[in-house]
Amino acid sequence: MTQENNTNMKFTGASKYVLDEELAKIVNITMALEMPLLLKGEPGTGKTMLAHAISEALGMKLIVLNVKSSMKLVDALYQYDTLTRLNDSRFGDSKRDVSNIEEYIKMGKIGQSFVSEERVILLIDEIDKADTDFQDDMLDVLDQMEFDIIEIDKTVRAKKRPVIIITSNAKKDLSDPFLGRCNFHHIAFPEPDMMREILKVHFPHISKDLLDSSIRAFYKMREFRSIEKKPATRELINWIRALQADPDFNVKQLIKGDLPYLGVLFKKSPDYAIARNAAARMRI
Amino acid sequence: MFTTFFYLLRQVGIPVSPTSFLRLQRALSMGLITSIDDFYTAARSILVKSERYFDLYDQVFAHRFEGAELKEPEEFELSQVAHAMLEEWLKDPKAMADALGIDEESLNRLSPEELLQYFLDRLKEQTEEHHGGSKWIGTGGTSPVGHSGYHPGGMRVGGVSRNKSAVKVAMDRRYRDYSQEGPLTQAQIGEALKRLRNMVPTGPKDLVNIDETIYQTMKNAGEIEIVFERSLKDRLKVILAIDNGGWSMDPYIEMVQTLFNYARSQFKELKTFFFHNTIYDNIWEDPPRFKKPYPVSELARRDPETRFIIVGDASMAPYELMATDGSIHIEERSTLPSYERLRFIADTFRHSAWLNPKMSSEWPYTRTITMIREIFPMFELTIDGLEKMVAHLMSDN
Repeated sequence: MTQENNTNMKFTGASKYVLDEELAKIVNITMALEMPLLLKGEPGTGKTMLAHAISEALGMKLIVLNVKSSMKLVDALYQYDTLTRLNDSRFGDSKRDVSNIEEYIKMGKIGQSFVSEERVILLIDEIDKADTDFQDDMLDVLDQMEFDIIEIDKTVRAKKRPVIIITSNAKKDLSDPFLGRCNFHHIAFPEPDMMREILKVHFPHISKDLLDSSIRAFYKMREFRSIEKKPATRELINWIRALQADPDFNVKQLIKGDLPYLGVLFKKSPDYAIARNAAARMRI
Repeated sequence: MFTTFFYLLRQVGIPVSPTSFLRLQRALSMGLITSIDDFYTAARSILVKSERYFDLYDQVFAHRFEGAELKEPEEFELSQVAHAMLEEWLKDPKAMADALGIDEESLNRLSPEELLQYFLDRLKEQTEEHHGGSKWIGTGGTSPVGHSGYHPGGMRVGGVSRNKSAVKVAMDRRYRDYSQEGPLTQAQIGEALKRLRNMVPTGPKDLVNIDETIYQTMKNAGEIEIVFERSLKDRLKVILAIDNGGWSMDPYIEMVQTLFNYARSQFKELKTFFFHNTIYDNIWEDPPRFKKPYPVSELARRDPETRFIIVGDASMAPYELMATDGSIHIEERSTLPSYERLRFIADTFRHSAWLNPKMSSEWPYTRTITMIREIFPMFELTIDGLEKMVAHLMSDN
């Protein structure tokens, strides 16, 4: 697809991503309004995958900014590579001009999305990890679509406004000014029917018995009391993979309530212990 | 045509900003929205910024565009409506009425559960304000429900509690949802809460910042200048338990709300629980203290380094603290006295504190405050108190 019709493009899903209609509408309207889209929801509901899916479906490049708690805004914008410059000035074996600082400026993830000639997708993953100041400052940059490089006193302006997807794990509330500038969607944990569709996409040849009983077992296990981290879609997919890989495994085991490989689903040791106990008493 | 929709959303308490409304207009004028379904999703994603309001939005939307009626609240929700109505009627309690009820004797013998049911039934029947008499709810009278009435072992409904130890409180203020925004007008408290920012652990300065070292070295014209930084420590986990029930906390709720709003973005993990007066077998994750109980014994599984902060006035009848079945809630039965539960929490989390909105000069006059202070270090909900609390929670001992 060429970039001219980017603005008219509609997102309708991707090969490994099951899109519900509502979310598709929201993505399309957000792209048309040129606003960031804030996605909240439990881990494992496919927030990050959505950006990958849009990128795949629309043939746009994806730039991922993984937010870390210690991150400063400038890290996401650009870096001044002083080390290379020092090296160049001492040994002088590169073609760079040492007196020109601009040659030592490297773009960060947000910077890259601004200078790109094509419209790209910028995924800002797990924004809630950073502190509030980072969030507000970043939104300023994304709002203005420009930032300054102090070292060379130059303003970088976005050539093509990127599609911005921001994800948050809903642990913390984001600040009001931040929310005011985003479109918002909360992805609920998939219903069993939806989960069935998702699994079919990942396992096209899965047997109906295994599909039925694994989904039933999975949703029962999510209900276990006092589990700290509930298994999510990712864990379920891995679990089914594990079950399929085991030559001794028989679907009837699941129906009888014998659940192997619980460690794939429950990754914290107290959770695992509880799950083992509860699973022994469970019938599906 | 959508302006009424906008105001309706604001009216039910969804914080919709005019800017976002204009943005919706823009989406409409761009021809992006072609059907009512489109409008539903688009308007929600543009206007509503939190999943907490999704349910409300659905109701308003249905009401405005589908002609559906706003759903009548039922069952437990009725208690909210009931209370709101009662508050209106009972504002000005008259003197005790003379009229005696025909069924007073039988009502005297009702259990609290039956009384509650009776109360709700009467509420459903009642259509107009009524004072005195023995059947309808109103002020005065001897019907076992009502304010300022006389009933041995009856319940208190609404009005100001006289000695802050009613036998059974029938109506809770379940609708006060702290997780929503409160007015941040109290400049002083806002200032005070900035002191919470000190609740960040600091490591020793033993980490070489290589980037900074190189930068400074170059600024120094090649003379080596090593820059050390404090090593990062993980942010704190905090559990906040808020007393959000009853009338005794009423005057302080706004202050607590401010504190709560601020605290949200501060920590690595912030878990908030709610209780009324004191803690028994369960604390609740939802502000109405109804749907999501959390067993206190489960707290043992949490990180013992978690800072446990309780916000409450610690004022109650002594038996609520010391008796095995001390809760004033008819539906809440306990196996251990609250005193033991509080001790358990204090033993589990070595960094714990109790924030009290009452001033410390008043503390000696309430017995339960003295008793709770034996368990938890108590601090005033003031700038100074907060500062002291932060210092206490951050100290190594």
